Amino acid sequence: MLTVPYTTQYLTEHFADGDYTTLAGYERKGGYRAARVALTQMSPADVIQLVKDSGLQGRGGAGFSTGMKWSFMPAGGDAPKYLVCNADESEPGSFKDRILLERGAHQMLEGILIAAWATGADKTFVYIRGEYAQPAVTLQRCIDEAYAAGYLGANVMRTGFRHDVVMQRGAGAYICGEETGLLESLEGKKGQPRKKPPFPAQYGAFGMPTTVNNVETFSHVPHIVANGAEWFRGFGTEKSPGTTIFGVSGHVARPGLYELPLGTRLDEIVFEHAGGVPGGRKVKGVIPGGMSMPILPAGQLDVPMANEHLRERKTMLGTGGVMVMDETTCMVRVACVITYFFRDESCGQCTQCREGTGWLNKITNRIERGAGSEEDLAILLDVAAKMEGQTICAFADAAAWPIQGLLRHFRGDFEEHVRQRKCPFSSSFEL
Amino acid sequence: MPRITVDGNPIEVAQGRTILQALDDAGVLMNGVDVPHYCWHPKLSIDGSCRLCQVEVEGVPKLQIACNTPVQDGMVVHTASPRVVAAREGVMELLLVNHPLDCPICDQAGECKLQDYAFEYGVSASRSREPRRALKKNVDLGPTIVFDQERCILCRRCVRFCREVPGTGELVVLGRGDDSVIETFPGVPLDNDYSMNVADICPVGALTTKDFRFKIRVWFLDDVPGICTGCSKGCNIHLGVANNRVYRYQPRRNDAVNDTWICDEGRMSYRRVGAPDRLRRALVRGELGVPEATDFGAAVAAAAERIAHLRDTKGAGVIAGIASPHATNEDLFVFRRFLDELGAGAFGVAVTTGRADGLLIQAEKAANAFGAHAFGFSDAAALCDRIRHGGVDGLIVLGHDALGADYLGGVEALAGLDTVIALDSHDSDLQRVAHVLFPTRVAAEKHGTLTNHAGRVQKVEPAVEPAYDARSEGEVLAALGAALGLAGFDGRFDASEVSKALSQSVPAFADASLDAVGPSGVPLAGGPRW
Amino acid sequence: MVISADARARIDAEIQKYPHKRGALLPALHIVQGEQGHVNTDAARAVAEIFEILPVEVMEVVSFYNMFFDSPQARHHVYVCTNLPCSLRGARGLLRELSQHLGVDESGDTADGRIHLGHEECLGACAYAPMLRIDDTYHEDLDVEKAKALLDALA
Repeated sequence: MLTVPYTTQYLTEHFADGDYTTLAGYERKGGYRAARVALTQMSPADVIQLVKDSGLQGRGGAGFSTGMKWSFMPAGGDAPKYLVCNADESEPGSFKDRILLERGAHQMLEGILIAAWATGADKTFVYIRGEYAQPAVTLQRCIDEAYAAGYLGANVMRTGFRHDVVMQRGAGAYICGEETGLLESLEGKKGQPRKKPPFPAQYGAFGMPTTVNNVETFSHVPHIVANGAEWFRGFGTEKSPGTTIFGVSGHVARPGLYELPLGTRLDEIVFEHAGGVPGGRKVKGVIPGGMSMPILPAGQLDVPMANEHLRERKTMLGTGGVMVMDETTCMVRVACVITYFFRDESCGQCTQCREGTGWLNKITNRIERGAGSEEDLAILLDVAAKMEGQTICAFADAAAWPIQGLLRHFRGDFEEHVRQRKCPFSSSFEL
Repeated sequence: MPRITVDGNPIEVAQGRTILQALDDAGVLMNGVDVPHYCWHPKLSIDGSCRLCQVEVEGVPKLQIACNTPVQDGMVVHTASPRVVAAREGVMELLLVNHPLDCPICDQAGECKLQDYAFEYGVSASRSREPRRALKKNVDLGPTIVFDQERCILCRRCVRFCREVPGTGELVVLGRGDDSVIETFPGVPLDNDYSMNVADICPVGALTTKDFRFKIRVWFLDDVPGICTGCSKGCNIHLGVANNRVYRYQPRRNDAVNDTWICDEGRMSYRRVGAPDRLRRALVRGELGVPEATDFGAAVAAAAERIAHLRDTKGAGVIAGIASPHATNEDLFVFRRFLDELGAGAFGVAVTTGRADGLLIQAEKAANAFGAHAFGFSDAAALCDRIRHGGVDGLIVLGHDALGADYLGGVEALAGLDTVIALDSHDSDLQRVAHVLFPTRVAAEKHGTLTNHAGRVQKVEPAVEPAYDARSEGEVLAALGAALGLAGFDGRFDASEVSKALSQSVPAFADASLDAVGPSGVPLAGGPRW
Repeated sequence: MVISADARARIDAEIQKYPHKRGALLPALHIVQGEQGHVNTDAARAVAEIFEILPVEVMEVVSFYNMFFDSPQARHHVYVCTNLPCSLRGARGLLRELSQHLGVDESGDTADGRIHLGHEECLGACAYAPMLRIDDTYHEDLDVEKAKALLDALA
């Protein structure tokens, strides 16, 4: 069941409150006051500066400075400008945006409104993954409530500012979470990412300047406006301020959501908050940030969950999807699950990605069956290297990194399959 | 002009061009500077998905695709650094993982960019032990094209072509990832006037023409440059020739005429060269009115006797001439001089017209109507009217366009003429009325020049030798003129000599003699219209 | 009529929201599929006419997305998530058990056209694994018995 986070902070502290999902309930807890402040007391430039000063980084996986991204939107001009809210959350291991939509849609809409004011955007398209059918119902209801209350539409809070929000449902394709893949899908086409340049701020949705931000990124904004940059920087680390919602899953006693400051140590999340591995078993490995991010072995969990630290361990924060694997886990089976996913979800444009994801999947399956060789391990790494950094979008990188991480820390699992000509992990999860 | 450095060599570039476009503009792409590529095509939109054209740009950390990287003054590019070499090997290896081992049965072999680039830039042994994906291998995409889904490398050139050139958009990529396939909509086959171009632009043997399928191995073909003669566009072509036979036309790039394209009808007109209805022997109508095959000399003598008789009894003013828009500039120049020296009463040119499409297809269905007009042959409609009303006693007619509805409306109009001398390449009703009929060569069998609809003079050379006694119109008329004792006619016809004389007497053609015209042709001085 | 008047009205309402008509194509396909269960060639032609594109372009879009179908479907779609967090907690075994329970392949339709069983990638319910979705509804924190009961209750 979708529960509220086990630990809460400013993003999720009211999520247990039933009527917080209604406009009235949201307003009662101070909702839309920050938007009023922004639209009546701050200039758009002020808002952008504030968000820059806060150090807020995008929470969709790339971690780019949000204030900087907003400043890329051209100022003034007659051409329409758009915001896009990326609600396509499909990164395996991530389920934080879902609860932000189910329980905090107005918080997100308030953030969108403030961002619209700051960037001069006329309209926001919220692109929500097709499988989130129930959250889409909730979101549309909240959008309708906001219109009825004058928080959206032709005359927002009677300030003369106009902003519209349109929700579009996706239809099942992970690649539509990539910024320009999303734009293509939004425009009614296949979600095949675009060549860059041009970037969305120059040529975005329907050819107009566009800024794309994640659900969670927008959700932080009202709090930054309400409380200031310094307050925001009171959470997290200097380079990675604020909180995020970690999603913990896999072999733990308390899988679920945890809103915690960035920089919280991974082992604290896994063992203290999520209760460690049940049944007295030991951890074998943890993927820290969603399935695209390289795995960390049990001995390297003492890392603060912030990009500046995770990069030193050759992994990244991604979307904070923490997947815990215990000592029974066969890492070759993990590789099979991961490579299958990337093969299935590749849009198919770029040669290396289309053929490489297929080849990686076929090789890992063959190794798992016991028909692999030492040369196959070299081929896996070589193909991964040939996929990295050479394609239209970062999907191929995301497909290559997990293999690199698994071979970096768990090469022994693969070698045992080769040596024994079968999978030796008889009590591992079933494939 | 901005300048970039490629592999140490400076190249001047135009602002706004990409690296690949700049190399193409400079004429060095795959011709001194190797940047192999699949999805890019000089006449289609940029795709950027094959990833083969990656190059190293100094100062930029990642390799860049040359097809989508705009040039900047001072840019330094390396096309063969170790990183680039490794990247190409990677792309080639990955493309071959699923590509079927069809070379022994694939029409593309010998002109296949996958073979060529695998050999040049790939790794020599495949490491893949995985079974290849199995797809459909003999898909009837439409009336002209066969499609092999397994061979396709998903460069999407064909999809972009159909959208951007004929604008018909029949082809799409269905699916996602390594399940992607090129497909059409049920009941909407690949069927447009330019469909066969997709076989040219397909780098591999995925799209091939039904017409050429399994006919001959391309390494047996000589590629002779030439001009399509289906209409007045004058699309540049290569004739694929083996065993003294034309096996196919392929478009030859000319950015001033047809880019890299040719219409299907023009492409298929290669069949006209060796067609069964080629006229093979001179025919002379005997005493009983039955045409008898004879040799060239006898035919010339017979024709000269008839023309001389008419000239001597009624004066040459009763003799008319109708030129063919299919003949070369040289042939037509000789015909004009012949008629002038003879003192012929009237002359014109008959041109069959039809549909034009605003792309390549022109209304005039012959390659040299412009040339005919340039040498004073105005439209023969009025002349044909006179002929129908009996105002002409003798006619020298080149080709059979004059039989068309806009002109004589049938061969009956010639039945009452005293003398009909015909020169033609293919059979027609002229056989029934001509007193002497000479078989002529087509453009693919001649040296000469043709002038297209826009006044561009382009040259042809003999790709095949007719096995029968066909001669160019100029040769026939040179012999006929000598037999009639016309001034300046010594019985010889040399296309080069005639072309020089032509360029000296007709000011517009001053720089357009056969020897001066290069492979891409020369626009006439003073602009298009005569 | 290939597309009902009601569907057409809803599609037109969506089109109003976009600066370019085609932006409403995915919403339109959801609407059409909601009515007919899939997008066949007739529907593709009708949709193509509304959006002034070619029918083949409609099928191109339909073929790219997991949730659009070009052929008739069973009454209920049942998808078990088999991505990593769910697999770690027994999703594959669950799928295997359900396929045996229904007498179908792990990706297959029951003979009576009632259920299509299959697997899907991450649905965003990782902490509540194993789980599945039946049409628009998630069912989480499952065990084999709970899951079987859910399927048996489907009409």
